[in-house]
Amino acid sequence: MTNTSKAKTGISRRSLLKTGAAAVGLAAGSGVITGFPTIWAQSNITLRQFGTGVSNLNAIADKCKADLGITLEMTATDSDAAAQRAVTQPDSYDIADIEYWICKKVFPSGVLQPMDVSRLKYYDELVPLFKTGKLTPDSVIAQGTAPHTVGYVEAQDSKTFAKAPTNWFTMVPTIYNADTLGIRPDLVGRDITTWADIMDPAFKGKTAILNIPSIGIMDAAMIMEATGNIKYADKGNMTKDEIDKTIDFLIKAKQAGQFRAFWKSFDESVNLMASGEVVIQSMWSPAVAAVRSKGIACRFQPLKEGYRSWGGGLGLAAHLKGAELDAAYEYINWYTSGWVGGYLNRQGYYSANMVSAKKFMSDDEWGYWIEGKPAKSEIKAPDGTVMEKAGAVRDGGSFEERMGKVACWNSVMDEDRYMVKRWNEFIAA
Amino acid sequence: MTVALERPAIAAAKPARRRFSIGVVTPYLQSAPLALILGAFLLLPIIMIVVVSFWDYDFASMYPDFLTTNYSDVLGSWVTWKTYLNTIKFAVVVWALTLFIGFWVAYFLAFHIRTTAMQMVLFLVCTVPFLTSNIIRMISWIPVLGRNGLINSTLVHLGLVPKPIEWLLYSEFAVVLAMVHLYTLFMVTPIFNTLMRIDRSLVEAARDAGASGWQVLWNVIVPLAKPGMAIGTIFVVTLVMADFSTVQVMSGGQSASVALMMKNQMSLLQYPAAAANAVVLLVLVLLMVAGILRVVDIRREL
Amino acid sequence: MTYEKRTLEFYALAVFFALFVLFLYGPLSAILILSFQGETGGLTFPLNGVSLHWFANLFERQAVGDFGGSFKRSLVLGLMVMIVTVVVSLLAGLAFRQKFRGATALFYLAVASLVVPSIIISLGIGVVFQQVGFRPAWYTSAFGAHLTWTLPFGVLIMFAVFNRFSPAYEEAARDLGASSWQTFAHVVLPMIAPSLIGVSLFGFTLSYDEFARTLMTSGTFNTLPLEIYGMTTNVTTPVLYALGTVTTVFSFLVILATLGAIIYVGRRRTRA
Repeated sequence: MTNTSKAKTGISRRSLLKTGAAAVGLAAGSGVITGFPTIWAQSNITLRQFGTGVSNLNAIADKCKADLGITLEMTATDSDAAAQRAVTQPDSYDIADIEYWICKKVFPSGVLQPMDVSRLKYYDELVPLFKTGKLTPDSVIAQGTAPHTVGYVEAQDSKTFAKAPTNWFTMVPTIYNADTLGIRPDLVGRDITTWADIMDPAFKGKTAILNIPSIGIMDAAMIMEATGNIKYADKGNMTKDEIDKTIDFLIKAKQAGQFRAFWKSFDESVNLMASGEVVIQSMWSPAVAAVRSKGIACRFQPLKEGYRSWGGGLGLAAHLKGAELDAAYEYINWYTSGWVGGYLNRQGYYSANMVSAKKFMSDDEWGYWIEGKPAKSEIKAPDGTVMEKAGAVRDGGSFEERMGKVACWNSVMDEDRYMVKRWNEFIAA
Repeated sequence: MTVALERPAIAAAKPARRRFSIGVVTPYLQSAPLALILGAFLLLPIIMIVVVSFWDYDFASMYPDFLTTNYSDVLGSWVTWKTYLNTIKFAVVVWALTLFIGFWVAYFLAFHIRTTAMQMVLFLVCTVPFLTSNIIRMISWIPVLGRNGLINSTLVHLGLVPKPIEWLLYSEFAVVLAMVHLYTLFMVTPIFNTLMRIDRSLVEAARDAGASGWQVLWNVIVPLAKPGMAIGTIFVVTLVMADFSTVQVMSGGQSASVALMMKNQMSLLQYPAAAANAVVLLVLVLLMVAGILRVVDIRREL
Repeated sequence: MTYEKRTLEFYALAVFFALFVLFLYGPLSAILILSFQGETGGLTFPLNGVSLHWFANLFERQAVGDFGGSFKRSLVLGLMVMIVTVVVSLLAGLAFRQKFRGATALFYLAVASLVVPSIIISLGIGVVFQQVGFRPAWYTSAFGAHLTWTLPFGVLIMFAVFNRFSPAYEEAARDLGASSWQTFAHVVLPMIAPSLIGVSLFGFTLSYDEFARTLMTSGTFNTLPLEIYGMTTNVTTPVLYALGTVTTVFSFLVILATLGAIIYVGRRRTRA
């Protein structure tokens, strides 16, 4: 699969599937799996993982079975339910795939155990963003619940987050991305350069933001600051006064009819855009791609204030031990060994280990998705649908340009009780 | 019955004593499964919720305690009142609409369709959509009501409106419409059931006594249909009061409901606050139902 | 004497009824049409061609989620709930024919079960299982949660049935020497069979469709409604509509079968 040329992509994918199937067959027959330890095929280990449909992809489970012999049972939930399940049903999973902002609440509740860094084979190759908060040594640490702030705990049995990297890693990142406004260039009719543009009266009734309190308020904060109404000390950790100002601002905009809807799931955002209900909204990069794959013009618009970023990670359930724990480490090492990374990168997300992922992407794919270069040939999604034609350039440019301009991360605030209270007010207004 | 008659009388005379002793225990044994299931999965959880609603919580976890702050937070905020008002408004509007529609549909089926077979068939025609997943039925309104949806594109195409009507989707109208669509059957069924039981000779007698069609309807049929209406009302009111997904999806997140407020708290793992909210909601709904039961004794009139 | 007036009322109501049916089926027809969406089409109008692609896709592996597994779980759970609902509510119905201590309390408990908002039950059962240390699963906690929803329906229906059930038939059978079991099996049961079929239909459908009560009680694996909801966190396709179409057709068949069963039982009874 390494550096497959464009013409062979389809074929090689098929042959890859065949190889996968053969490997499964082989595993079932003799217990021999090439490349990875064989013990798992014999001991018949099953790991149960849950998380949102964004990263709980069946293709990963299939490939995991083929490579490791570990059966991965994936359950997709919406992001609210994921947080609930993590905390209230800790016995119901082995691997939790949750977002970093909610990890700030989930980890201290004691349902997860930290990972021993020395057992993580690819730890050194992981993007530094998750270790120090800096993409490059000279970048500025973004506001909000940045992953590195909840990335480590003091000791194996500790529930308090460490200020600096330790030997105990809370979660291994799965996917992350930088969000901005998605627009319909055919319907917007002007240049969009700032988060404040979503408040343009011209778009009255044709805008949307997120309806998950912790994320929606970050959208609002980006907009508020862009309009020059306020300057936050830390958008991701507002004071009561700042929360008040932000919510009041939202209430005013809502009552003036600025918003068409507030979306909660990936799908809703795609449908809002594709059906023409909104022309400008807070959006994910793959959602923009999904709209575009329907033949509808849609742009992921970089803005001068920067991006609102988010990320998810895999955490180990506290009850894991013995062979299951070993299998979980094996799985996580496999997860960061490249195939998954390439697969996720090709969907428009970013993966944790770019070094290994590169080996599983063609030069053209790597150039388009990561380096921000024009595509030399058609760019295809993992399922084979054409996402971009030759010559296309990714909105927002390269990985460094996007992730280097993160203004804030999705967050849980210290004043989250007050925030939810006021958020409910906003919805009720 | 034939079978029973043909059987030789084996157990001609069971000892009366045995029947007596079993007779006393029987109802307890027969009702035990129901009591056990409801005890374990209804009473216990509700007690738990009540207990948790007094607990303390911080950023990450909750602690057993006896605090009333959760309640003062819930009851002391105007958001709660406004949200309750909004939810009750939905309940009243949806109730009035489903009652109106439900009664006439049931009346038509019960009094205007002559054959039982036809009644059955038409009634089942009404029930089929209710067997399709609620989520899918709700989502299905979106392509119909949307800005470029079926209705708007038809209206614009026919030249009836210059531009698409915005309030069809992501509005309170959309919420009410979807709820009526989702819940009307819960009104039709019990009313139909009671109407079918009305003795037709009562109607004939009223007519013979010179009552007009309207008088018969208002003075004979409606009073007799009250138990059905009461049961339907209980169904619809409780379903609407507890709804969060319809409100969320159909209003595009722009409208609030009590359960949605709870869900927002739960999404940040603030369970004691959500529990306090749940208890308040529970008390309110139980009071509403008690009110309905005071007007109509469904137990006697079922 | 009121023949003319009645026909007028009849036509007015017939139109009303027709409109109601149209209202019920309108959005479903949108689903029906969109389930034949072309391969590149989305969840909303316009149609991008016509194809059977999404029906075929329904039986393939999705990018996210697992229709087959969750459907199987929902089906099994629905059947479990159905059987328990029928048996328990029949027993309770029989119990309520006599006076016993706590009857009123139990009756109102059943009504309360209907009335308590689903999300509260879900949260409560979730918390109880967590505190007690039981492992929640679709066949334990979610099963119980569903029963709190289906049982009151069953009990109310059985209550209504037995309220109107004349003891004369049983007395006659007993006078003719039938044992109490024989009386029940050969006299009572055939007479209430249609209602039992109704209860089972209710039980299955309510469980098959239940979302809020399953939300916090399902354990590791999703039931179908949860799976559909979870799938909307990634790109969803008209395959959802294909599923809707297939379920509706399936429901039609179930209803037809039920109708057949009721007619069959009815015939047997009239013949007897």
